[in-house]
Amino acid sequence: MISIRDLQFTWPAGEFCLRIPSLDVTAESAVAITGPSGSGKTTLLNLIAGIHPVTTGSIQVADTGITQLSDRGRRTFRLRQIGLVFQSFELIEYLTVLDNVLLPARISPVIAMTSGLRERARDLLVRVGLEQESARPVTQLSQGERQRVAICRALLTDPPLLLADEPTGNLDPDSSQRIVEILLSQVREHCATLLMVSHDHSLLSQFDSTIDFNTIQSAEPVAGGSGAA
Amino acid sequence: MLHNAFLLAVRSLWWYRGRSLIIILCLATTLWGPLTVRMLVNEFQDEILQRAKSTPLIIGVPGSRIDLVLHGLYFQSALPQRLTMEGAYYVRDTGFASAIPLHVRFRTQELPNTAAAPIVGTTLEYFEFRRLEVIQGQPITRLGDCVLGARFAQQSGLKPGDRLLSSPRNAFDLAGDYPLNMRIAGVLNSSWSPDDDAVFVDLRTAWIIEGIGHGHQTLSGESKEQLLESDDSDTLQANASVLPYTQITDENESSFHFHGDDADFPVSEVIAVPKDRQSQTLLLGRYSSVRGSSAICVKPQQVVHQLLAMVFRIEQLFRIAAGLSAIVTTVLLGLVIFLSVRLRAPEMRTMQRIGSARGTIALLVGLEIILMLIVAVCVSLSAAALTQTLAGEWMRQFLF
Repeated sequence: MISIRDLQFTWPAGEFCLRIPSLDVTAESAVAITGPSGSGKTTLLNLIAGIHPVTTGSIQVADTGITQLSDRGRRTFRLRQIGLVFQSFELIEYLTVLDNVLLPARISPVIAMTSGLRERARDLLVRVGLEQESARPVTQLSQGERQRVAICRALLTDPPLLLADEPTGNLDPDSSQRIVEILLSQVREHCATLLMVSHDHSLLSQFDSTIDFNTIQSAEPVAGGSGAA
Repeated sequence: MLHNAFLLAVRSLWWYRGRSLIIILCLATTLWGPLTVRMLVNEFQDEILQRAKSTPLIIGVPGSRIDLVLHGLYFQSALPQRLTMEGAYYVRDTGFASAIPLHVRFRTQELPNTAAAPIVGTTLEYFEFRRLEVIQGQPITRLGDCVLGARFAQQSGLKPGDRLLSSPRNAFDLAGDYPLNMRIAGVLNSSWSPDDDAVFVDLRTAWIIEGIGHGHQTLSGESKEQLLESDDSDTLQANASVLPYTQITDENESSFHFHGDDADFPVSEVIAVPKDRQSQTLLLGRYSSVRGSSAICVKPQQVVHQLLAMVFRIEQLFRIAAGLSAIVTTVLLGLVIFLSVRLRAPEMRTMQRIGSARGTIALLVGLEIILMLIVAVCVSLSAAALTQTLAGEWMRQFLF
């Protein structure tokens, strides 16, 4: 599903450099990524999602070479193929629960706002137990409920790839478990691939595999890289 | 896409409604000033030009042309020096125009809910000239009758058959002119002009108020006991009782008379209605040459244009001030919007991370600004219309 080769990414200021010689994630698997804070886990997810352009190297998601896409192409790909879940939920506070779930369709012409899509948004809310809250502002929800709304937003287009960046970081153990169950059910029932960053070791046993971020990084410039420090 | 962006913009404006309201009010206030002034000036221009256009010439004694025209049109500016009826006869005798004399010197006494109205002494030709018709009661049929302008009648609640007192020229001068207790004969139709606020009497009635004409009391009848000092067999002697006003009745009307030649009686101005353009030119020529020292003949339209030019100069100054204010407001609002966008940076970053283009986010912010502008324009237009309604009358009184 995901194939990374000779990846190198440097922030414009040059204060951080991510180097990954090789990384493969098989399709329809749930993979957890662990590692110390500041090691570049979030950056890796952003590179896979095409939020940041890579400096050198290649990232292949399914049959699409992310690194070959234009900014517009990466946005379109992200909207259609990738579901993103963030640690801080990143919901729009002036929208209701339902409108937050429908946000991807509201901010881009790539996803058409159809009655079918609205129906899917409502189904997702039923699936995560928030059907009664659909008309409420998200500011009135608990942290766990907010993360469930964020997951519904990520699943709106039924994406084959889910990237979750510490989605349980701000939640209590029960809420964390529920969030992981929802994400894993998407993998099991809808044949999706999940890549989730987590510091919570109690959750890792539920994943198909775990990647220790320290082991996949290279201290030296990767082959074909620019050699930036 | 636009529909979705519109929905997001509306939700955002409502969520940040305190900030939105402040921006809208700032914009609306900035727009309201120039808009209101423009609307008031337009209304003032239309009103004054319409009346001026419908009044071909005004004749008065030499002096302020503006005062003469405004007094002749609105009955409200400073009283011009007095002309005599000879001025009206002169116009008539030239054969160039018909003459409508006006004598506007006195006002009615103030009523509980109504300000004093100007008493306009004129002839029946004035009503025809201004297309004024009696819609309630009857026209003036005798001395001491008056007809009321529509608005004055409505505000005062007076109706045909009621009585209305003129205001004495000097309340402390016992030897001066006494108020005339006028009988209200009728009420005129509404003309949306200063005529609606006036009280009209026959020119001779105006002269009676002025003290030029008078009547004599008969020491007989029901009032005899109150008026007699002594009644010996040969002579009736009246006492010194002073009546608070003059009243013309069917019984005493015939006793009212004038001494002297009415050509010497005063009028405040004369409206001349030329037969045609050539007659107008000839009449103007006469006044600029033959009668130039004793009277002037002016075209109200020209004088009003001069007055408007002055008003527009003042408006231009106001526009400059409003323009500067608008620049300052725009800069401040720009700063507010910039800071607001900075505060909302996380929300915009989220949209970008999900897949929104920068252009879409710019569209959202732009739509919010446009929506606030539209609301501000609506608010300022409504406020300007309300101000125009409320302040229109005040402005006219202030200007004249």
